Amino acid sequence: MSLRVRLLGTIIGAIVLFFIISVAAARLVLQHDLFALGATQVTNGSSAFGGYWDSRKDQIRLLVAQDAVSDTLRKALQSNNVAALQDQLANIARTSGLSFLTITDQNGKVIARANGPQPGSLKSDPLIQRALTGETVSTATLLGQSLLSGEGLGPQAEADIVGPDGKTKVRHDDKGLALVAAAPISDQNERTIGAIYGGVLMNHYYDLVDSATHALGGSAAILEGDAIVASTIQAPDGTRTVDELVPPARDVVKSDTAFTGTDTVGGTKYLVHIEPITNDQNQVIGARWYGTPLAQISAIINHTTQTLILWGVIAAILALALSIPIVQRLSNTLAQRSQQVRAAAKELGVAIVGSEVSGDHVAMTRAAVERSGTLIAELGASGVSSPKLTELKAVNDELTGDMIVIDTLSQEMSGRMQQAVQRVHDLNDVAAGLTKLVTGESS
Amino acid sequence: MADVILFFSSNADTMIATKALKDAGVPAKMIPKPASVTSASNLCLSIDGGVEAQAKTALSGAGVALGGVVK
Repeated sequence: MSLRVRLLGTIIGAIVLFFIISVAAARLVLQHDLFALGATQVTNGSSAFGGYWDSRKDQIRLLVAQDAVSDTLRKALQSNNVAALQDQLANIARTSGLSFLTITDQNGKVIARANGPQPGSLKSDPLIQRALTGETVSTATLLGQSLLSGEGLGPQAEADIVGPDGKTKVRHDDKGLALVAAAPISDQNERTIGAIYGGVLMNHYYDLVDSATHALGGSAAILEGDAIVASTIQAPDGTRTVDELVPPARDVVKSDTAFTGTDTVGGTKYLVHIEPITNDQNQVIGARWYGTPLAQISAIINHTTQTLILWGVIAAILALALSIPIVQRLSNTLAQRSQQVRAAAKELGVAIVGSEVSGDHVAMTRAAVERSGTLIAELGASGVSSPKLTELKAVNDELTGDMIVIDTLSQEMSGRMQQAVQRVHDLNDVAAGLTKLVTGESS
Repeated sequence: MADVILFFSSNADTMIATKALKDAGVPAKMIPKPASVTSASNLCLSIDGGVEAQAKTALSGAGVALGGVVK
């Protein structure tokens, strides 16, 4: 693999690694922070939804309390004018948006209802009992089948509850979750002559959840126990999700503790806050569910991730566009230097050979000069005497000295050359390594 | 003036000294080491006694350590 490929591979690898880590870190941080922000939002939304709930409860209390002091109703009750009472109750209920409005006598016996002439007794109803003692009561409560039937509200409350899958029937509910108020009706002497009892049945009643959703966004639901009885949660087919179990609400009802987390309803995953609903005895009877689709958070995270990846790709392309020429230039320079080193090593090789040859020649010349000295000495010893011979001997002595110097120098250089030989081999290896590194090919 | 012999600790130093003296314009002749001189080098330099001081200055300037002087 050539240096060019390695360098570019390293750059690309570093960029890819950088972006993988960046994207993963960004996703983690976004997931954590947006989830926390979403949890705060649904908690605040749930509080606002609770405000709508309380406001409706107060409104019902006010309506019932006002009706309790109505002269018209009191006179009709005193005169036992059932028809007139029924008309008036029907008018009030219709104009006030109450699901039912009923008047009893001082014994709890039903005198008139807004929804019809059905007789009955509310004597055993704890709220009526409290109203007949002079107290005005307002609360959320569960209405039993007998009361609902008497008011003609049984069909509105009855439902087959399905599981979280939206298909499997798990139970049949016939109770109704309602916001109610009861107040005493007194005569002119302040003696209690009856009670008025009215409220709004929340089962399949959508005004409250619609108002909350319009004002707050998200989705809202009212749960009786752990089952949705009214909601703005859209089912996959576009209808409202109702009469469906909400598993996290079971713990809320059991523990009387709010829940914040994820919940899948109607096939959609939501970030939700579930707040318990209590009756006048502080018993949990249901819950308020408020949530926003988790897809909104996921969409932000995915959009941010896609943006990061897109810009990452652009950055990678730019980085490569900048780095490719640099890597190319670097590789070319290295290849060129490698070439120069190899050429220099080759030249040095020639010099070394020359030096060895030259050394041999010097050694031979020295031997010749020494041989010449020996012959001159032999001539002198054989009795030959001549001024020229003396001069020749002096010249030969000087030549011998020079030859010794030249030979010594030659030997010294030969030693150095031996070291140079090793260095040249090393240089050759380095040059070959550089060539292989740059081109990826063995030379 | 009589010749002076400069000797050094190695043949390599002797060669460097030769080049240094040549560059400084001091005439010097490389000769085999006389038997009377004790040195690890086989070679030494012969210079005229009149340029000894100039030679020493040149060698000092070139950073060559002088092993000794024989007069």
